[in-house]
Amino acid sequence: MQNNLFNILKKELRELFRDKKSLVMMLVIPIFIPLLVIGMSALFDMQANKNIEDFNKIGFAYQLSEEEKEIAENMDIKITYGTEDELKQKYENSEINLYVTKENNNYILNTGSNDNDSYAINLMQTYFDSLKQYMQANYLSNNNINPNEVLNIINVEENIFEEDDNYFTSYIKNYAFLFIIMAITVSATYPATDTTAGEKERGTLETLLTFPIKSKDIIVGKFLGVSISSIVTGVISLILAVISLVIAGNMFSIYDGIDIMFSGTSLIFAIIVIIAYSFFISGLCISIASKSKTFKEAQSALTPLTFISFFPGMIAFMVGVETTPILSIIPFLNFTLLFTDISNGNINLLNLLLMGISTIIYITIVLKLIIKQYKSENVLF
Amino acid sequence: MIRVDNVKKTFVRYKSKKEKEIFYANNGISFEANDGEIIGILGPNGAGKTTLLRMIAGILEPTEGTVNFDDLNYKENELEIKKSLAYLSGNTKLYDTISCYELLKMCADIYGVVDKQEERIKEISKILNMEGFLYNKIGNLSTGQTQRVNIARCMVHNPKYYILDEATTGLDIISSQVILNFIKEEKTKNKTIIYSTHYMEEAENICDKVIMINKGIVITRGTPSKIKEKTNTTNLRDAFFSLIGGVLDAE
Repeated sequence: MQNNLFNILKKELRELFRDKKSLVMMLVIPIFIPLLVIGMSALFDMQANKNIEDFNKIGFAYQLSEEEKEIAENMDIKITYGTEDELKQKYENSEINLYVTKENNNYILNTGSNDNDSYAINLMQTYFDSLKQYMQANYLSNNNINPNEVLNIINVEENIFEEDDNYFTSYIKNYAFLFIIMAITVSATYPATDTTAGEKERGTLETLLTFPIKSKDIIVGKFLGVSISSIVTGVISLILAVISLVIAGNMFSIYDGIDIMFSGTSLIFAIIVIIAYSFFISGLCISIASKSKTFKEAQSALTPLTFISFFPGMIAFMVGVETTPILSIIPFLNFTLLFTDISNGNINLLNLLLMGISTIIYITIVLKLIIKQYKSENVLF
Repeated sequence: MIRVDNVKKTFVRYKSKKEKEIFYANNGISFEANDGEIIGILGPNGAGKTTLLRMIAGILEPTEGTVNFDDLNYKENELEIKKSLAYLSGNTKLYDTISCYELLKMCADIYGVVDKQEERIKEISKILNMEGFLYNKIGNLSTGQTQRVNIARCMVHNPKYYILDEATTGLDIISSQVILNFIKEEKTKNKTIIYSTHYMEEAENICDKVIMINKGIVITRGTPSKIKEKTNTTNLRDAFFSLIGGVLDAE
């Protein structure tokens, strides 16, 4: 390492770790990750383990036969009778979750659209499936036909392979890892703005340019300073994500039977992606911020980056995009895709290599552009 | 010796959103500053003093012309020249979050002052009476104290040339006297000092030669006494107005 590059890096790190705002950006943002993991786990756990008492109070605007009552009782349905108007009133008073009206053989399920109402509809659809099956079997028996020969001609069994993840846990893990990418972006934004546009606005850039230092050393020193800050945020975020997933695993039943411990290899590759993304985003932030005249202007210019860093990965996750060699070289998307792959235990060395090589190329181009800018006097104005 | 040869600097000025024009901040300025000389660059605000000094300090590049330090020029020897000069302006800002000591140490490291670095920092802080706040953060210092730290920063590598741009502007009488004493002291060590100011009386007291500029061009040059004699005035302020034809013309 050249001496003046080291001097600039030392100066940048000293300023960075002594500035309260930079420290807040670096250390406080990762705290949101445990909140996200525990919060989402609690929400999904509540949905997965819905108590039947919350949605089994059903009103009937007609009298049930003994057979219907038996089916309802077997399904834990709490029966309430009344006229349509009385049941409507009871529904509005939240005394029942749904009420059924009947015209000839046409049954109508009356309810609203909240969470418990949806569960009540599912419950009643199961109830009517059972009732239909009972009535069909009864009809066939009365006509001397064995119901099993008609109704159960084929037999369907479910053989579900054991998976490492279920829908809920993979959703939570992917979002936690996406949030790490966003935390790194936010963490890079402030120091990149401060060290370029901030330094220009405060007037210290002029002093720096009178020193016998090559533009390359100034830029690389600043770039490494911002990158180190982002890597610190990324690694803290990763540690907190892993710890909070382990805690959530012990607290909520949605994680039952799922191994949420990350292997050492997964963690090492996750750190490699964090480092690569930190370098990439730091270079990009510095190149954008150094074109701005003021701190405020730079911040406005960098705000979209926070969203750009998050959305491609989120959309890819929602539509189920899988990582390919081509996608591994597309900036932003490659980091989030590979990161979520690693979080799910899928490590593809070719894709990781392509991500690494493309990132080095992008960083080199970006740094060359910034160095060119710092060689020109325009950087002062 | 510093040799400024036919230096021109143009900037683009926007008259309206669509209409722009190129104007000369400096238009063909030449002079020489010999070892042990204090050269005063005088002129009103907007005359082109800061642009000229920034070009001499290597912050801006001349559109035309050259600046040479002995036999060295910026195109081929930028780092070497920058190692031998110190630039200080009235607007020079320092890093608020670091202490004076840390700043001086950083500057010493950058300029390659390795031998007896600690002693050098202590010596300078004694000369500039900074011992009381040497370990304080720069952000907590007064304007005068900050400017003293700035001088210390300039002295740390014992430069051969000083480029001082309105270094006393906005300072109280004591702080500005510290700077003037420093300039006089460095002259005795055979240092070359280029010093811009719009305080004509100040320049009259310390400069060996004066170059008056207005609207980017040199309007006169010489020793203060020669200029006064030439313009038949008793001070440089009157000499300046007599050369440009009064206050309204200067505007």
